[in-house]
This record gives sequence, C-alpha cells and structure tokens, in this order.
Amino acid sequence: MNVSHEQENSDKWEVQLRKGCLELATLAALWDGRLYGLEILRRLESDSDLVISEGTVYPLLSRLKSLGLLESEWVESDGGHPRKYYYLTSAGKRRAQEMFGIWSRFSSSMGRLLRPLTKGK
Amino acid sequence: MALAAPQKIESYLGKLRARLRGLGNEEINDIIEELRSHILEKSTVNGELGTGHVEAALAGLGTPEDLASEYMTDAALARAEVSRSPVQILPTLFRWASLSVAGFFVLISSLVGYLLGAALILCAVLKAIHPQSAGLWSFHDSSGDLNLSLRLGFGSAPSHGHDVFGWWIMPVGLVAGLGLVMLTTRFAIWCLRLYRKSRRHSEPKPFVRTGAR
Repeated sequence: MNVSHEQENSDKWEVQLRKGCLELATLAALWDGRLYGLEILRRLESDSDLVISEGTVYPLLSRLKSLGLLESEWVESDGGHPRKYYYLTSAGKRRAQEMFGIWSRFSSSMGRLLRPLTKGK
Repeated sequence: MALAAPQKIESYLGKLRARLRGLGNEEINDIIEELRSHILEKSTVNGELGTGHVEAALAGLGTPEDLASEYMTDAALARAEVSRSPVQILPTLFRWASLSVAGFFVLISSLVGYLLGAALILCAVLKAIHPQSAGLWSFHDSSGDLNLSLRLGFGSAPSHGHDVFGWWIMPVGLVAGLGLVMLTTRFAIWCLRLYRKSRRHSEPKPFVRTGAR
C-alpha cells in the first residue's frame, strides 16, 4: 500500500518536472529548422526522452503560435496530405535562448546540491 | 455497426469542430486539417488506412471534448494575454462560462465591470453634449431614501436632484471608467490563468510512458 503510494507520488513529481520543460523542449526541437507536429513529437522522444501525448503537443503548438513564438506554413507532402510546418520567429528564438540560460543556471546549481547523493548510490 | 476507418476519422473531427465553436473559422479549419493530416500519417501503412491504426491515432489525441478544451483555454488565453483587449477576452469568458460554474461567475463579474466602466466613460463624453442631464445624480425618492443614478443625458435630470460632480464628471468618469476596464481585464486574465493551472494539475496523461527509458 505504502509502496504504491510512494510510486504514485514519484510519478506525479516526474510528470510535473517534465511538464515544466515542455515549452523549452518544443522551442529547442525547432531550433535547427522547421518541423511538423509528428516530427516534433518524434524529435522530443528520440532526443530528450520526452514522450508526449499528441493531445498535449498540438494545443501547445497552437498556444506558442498565438504568443508569437512560432509561425507555421502548409506544405504539400508525398503522402498526399499537406503538413503544417512550424518554425521559430525571432521572438521565439529570443525566448528559447532566455529559457536555456535559466535552465543552465538552475541545472548547474541543482547539480552542486545533488552531488552528495551520488555517493549513496 | 462498426464505422469504417475514414468515417471514424470524420466522426471524430466533426465532434471536435462542433466543440471548437467560438474560435475563428480560419483557426478551426487550420486545427482540423492539421489533425486530419496527423491521423492519416499515423494510420496509413503501405498506402492503406488500417482501422486499428486509426483507433490508436484517435486514442493518442484523447477525446474530442478534452482536446477541444485544451485548444480553447490555451489559444484563447494566449490571445487574451497578448492583446489584453475586452474584445478578445469576452468570447473566451463566454466559452468558459459554458464549461463551468466558476467560469459563469467570472463572466458575470467581468460583464458588470466592463459595463460600469463603459457607462462611466460614456457619461464623461456625453456630458459635453447633454450638460443639463448627463452625470452622477443624487436625489431622494418618494420614501425619502437617498439614491444615486448615473445618467447618460437621454431624458431629463431627476427633479430636485443634485449633480454630484458637475463638469468634473468628465475627467473623473474617464479616469474611473478606463481604470475599471483595465482592472476587469486583469481580473479576467488572472482567473483564466488560475483555471488553466487547475486544468493542468488535473490533466490525465500529458505524457505517455514507454518501456524504453
């Protein structure tokens, strides 16, 4: 009973932690150039272990576009259906850099704090 | 009778489209076409649409109700935050009011704030056109109770009434009206942010677990 409760708390913490990274991860996935929704999902999965549900990523892309951080364009594909490609606007690039700076400082300070825990392993 | 793969897709997208009402037509069409493209790409194997694959793709998107709710709150709140205009915020509040009791109360409070703000601004402007009757009037009714009435100048002034601000209603009305509109907008955006935060905390599965870690 206690073990499953602890596992549940640990799962919730992990979900919250990953949620916090989602916006930065999505902007970072588009840093090298335009991608469409499914490509963004696969990129996040392969490069960051962020396996997001499709029902989360599409509304998020829509929100980032409304905030002026992304722009989109429709491109015909070989599969017969057009794909909606997203790319970073200059505001999106600035936001990604800003978030990356915050992430780096936080990650480095947490790393110092957590270093003693590695001895317990 | 079980639906064929293309019908399943259209049925799902039809339900989603109905629940996205309130967003602009162009935006709705964009969302629907993007999701159609996603479902087709995930479900087509060797040029064939597989029913099992379509079901899996639709399950990955969640129910049309949940997905629409995500779009409505996320996109609408982002637009409202960017524009900070009552014209953008009010449709979002009307949509939210149709989804929850909390949304209904926020809509009513915001409507009162906006209407009172607009009335004060109008009163200030109309004082220049109807100086004898526009303004904030105090008067005693037949039972002797003191009443306050904001008049825009259409009709006559209350008999034996006192024009509280006189010409001062012009600067006072403009400042108070604009201030009230701005405060109402901040209140509405704050409530929408709280709502989005609470939805995020109760969100069922934003992340999908895989075996490979």
